[in-house]
Amino acid sequence: MDELDILKKDWQKKGEELPKLSYNDIYKMIWKKSSSSVKWIFIISILEFILPNLLLLIPSVRTHQIEIYYSNNSKHLFLWLTIFQYIVIFYFIYQFYKRYKEISVLDDAKTLMKNILRTRKTVKHYIIFSLSMIFLTMLLMAASVYFNPDMLSVFYKTDIPDGLTEEELRTMLAIGFVIISIVMTSIIGLIYFLLYGLLIRKLNKNYKELKRMEI
Amino acid sequence: MSKDLEHVFVTELQNNQNIVHKVCSLYTNDRDAHNDLFQEITIQLWKAYPKFRGDSKFSTWMYRVALNTAITLYRKSKRKVNTQNYDSIIYKIKADEYDETQELQLKLMYTAVKQLGDIDKALVFLYLEDKNYTEISETLGISEVNARVKMNRIKTKLKTILNP
Repeated sequence: MDELDILKKDWQKKGEELPKLSYNDIYKMIWKKSSSSVKWIFIISILEFILPNLLLLIPSVRTHQIEIYYSNNSKHLFLWLTIFQYIVIFYFIYQFYKRYKEISVLDDAKTLMKNILRTRKTVKHYIIFSLSMIFLTMLLMAASVYFNPDMLSVFYKTDIPDGLTEEELRTMLAIGFVIISIVMTSIIGLIYFLLYGLLIRKLNKNYKELKRMEI
Repeated sequence: MSKDLEHVFVTELQNNQNIVHKVCSLYTNDRDAHNDLFQEITIQLWKAYPKFRGDSKFSTWMYRVALNTAITLYRKSKRKVNTQNYDSIIYKIKADEYDETQELQLKLMYTAVKQLGDIDKALVFLYLEDKNYTEISETLGISEVNARVKMNRIKTKLKTILNP
């Protein structure tokens, strides 16, 4: 008999030492709220879908955007970009919903983990897409400020400061936009991947462990 | 959901609660976490209960949900807890039933099992619960051969811990 069988004999006698919950204890529990990782992944994912779009609801950002749309000749480009963006967003939301629905605690451990990670991956791709779009939009703004003289009046309403030519001001604004876009996407990206990493660290570890067994 | 369903479920779970307590004792280290995990497993069981068809035994069905919750869904509770006085149930060994060497051996083995990773623990748990390799492989989603190989590795690991 090996060691584990000695343990097994003892394990199966454990009955009397285990806690005993009453009918009422258990009854109360079934109405409590779950705090499972899947629930958190769902909540955080929804937030991640909403937040980039909330930016557009801030009044100054919105009026700015509208002004940009209608005050320069690249308005069609921005408009098509926005339409494209929303089509892709809805596609991601649909994918997310579909995969989320597939998560079932009744699957075997490996399938369950795989489905959760796949759901999460949809959101990850969405975030990468959103960040690239924000980055691209900012770069387009920088380019339009630099190449289109009309645009200057949209971003810079007061007179041009002394000692600066219009050309120089345009260059400065354009460089400013590029720097802001790099910093902004990096910060949002960093926060996101830290959050993402923390949330599924345990899940990832266990999934890798199961996958390793298959080799 | 109907009152009947609630009643049947709670009664079934009450009768089979040992399974859940055993899972909790393997995956947590203090009483609060034990209760927390027990509650989460109960919630998951209840949410999944409408899908329980009765073509398998209630207890068989519980193993899967309980382990899935412990390994994948459960997030450690953030509450501050006092762990000093907790005498985990799995260490409670009745002195009169064993001689001293065996008692020490069991204690060492339980400690060793507690130190295993989440997946290894699940394998050991199912093994201790007298599940065969078909059931173990179906619960975890790995092949039967791999379940055997893994189990042998764990046995060797435990052996080296006991006989250094």
